[in-house]
Amino acid sequence: MEFQAIVDRLRALNAPGIVEVDEPRAPDKETKDKGRSGRPFVMIEPASLVDILHLCRDDERLQMEVLIDITASDPAVDDANLWILVELLSVKHRHRLALKALLPKANPVLPSATAIYRAAQWHERECAEMYGVTFEGHPDPRNILLPDDWVGHPMRKDYEFPTEYHGISCE
Amino acid sequence: MGILENAFEENVLTTKVDWLLNWARLNSIWPMTFGLACCAIEMMAVGAAHHDIDRFGAGAFRATPRQADLMIVAGTVNFKMGERVKRLYDQMPSPKYVIAMGACATGGGPYFKYGYTVMKGVDRIVPVDVYIAGCPPRPEALLEGLMKLQDKIRRTAVIRKPAVTA
Repeated sequence: MEFQAIVDRLRALNAPGIVEVDEPRAPDKETKDKGRSGRPFVMIEPASLVDILHLCRDDERLQMEVLIDITASDPAVDDANLWILVELLSVKHRHRLALKALLPKANPVLPSATAIYRAAQWHERECAEMYGVTFEGHPDPRNILLPDDWVGHPMRKDYEFPTEYHGISCE
Repeated sequence: MGILENAFEENVLTTKVDWLLNWARLNSIWPMTFGLACCAIEMMAVGAAHHDIDRFGAGAFRATPRQADLMIVAGTVNFKMGERVKRLYDQMPSPKYVIAMGACATGGGPYFKYGYTVMKGVDRIVPVDVYIAGCPPRPEALLEGLMKLQDKIRRTAVIRKPAVTA
């Protein structure tokens, strides 16, 4: 299915929490719109992520069996939100869907998708240690790449580099 | 070999104990299999037929620190791995040697500024004998590093006390 057809299908299924649908557009000089490149995505409420993932996996027209990625990005130090990105793929129907959500940095809590996609476990562990997102209901919320006693979330824009680790200088 | 030379029958060789020990040591430096990043690919190339580190007696890559004399730290060492590097070094029997291969093991390399978990040089946890420049070094560079290490071993004295220079 094309992107618009996927969105229509989600709307027809009464998918909760869809905020907006963002498609790439050309820059417009009159309105001083810089445009947007890249792929289209669906903006959702973070709280309804699990419900939408359920729909995407179980609906026979969508049938997205594969979770490609769950990650985040930190746009700026003074930005109040993290961006959450979830990428889904249907091998059977050969289509993809990108979901995005704004998660407030003050309380970055997201329901875990591990009950729907087991592949989410490692993605969520990495996202948790790198961006400080707490995934509620994750079965094994340890660090995956960083040492267990690591302080801070390195991919945050306001991350301060450590000066030493276990007595070894980092300078 | 001084006054003892040719003092015995034909099949007897005379030498110094230090020379003999060093000769044996420097021609059988068994390295530990220790690939951490792209430098390991070059290290494997050195072990393969074209460059053939076995010509220097250092081709027996051991998969355990207890049988190894040399640790070639080939790649990026981060703090999580650094603890393991230290432990493996401690498990090696003396005399033991360390070669820091490439920019990362020497001083952090390209991760020096923004690599938050990358150790800025493996010499912060283990003593390094030879540093090899390059990112990654050519196989010839690793061979030269090995020869430098052999030169170092050749100068050591086990029995004879080194002469005190005033």
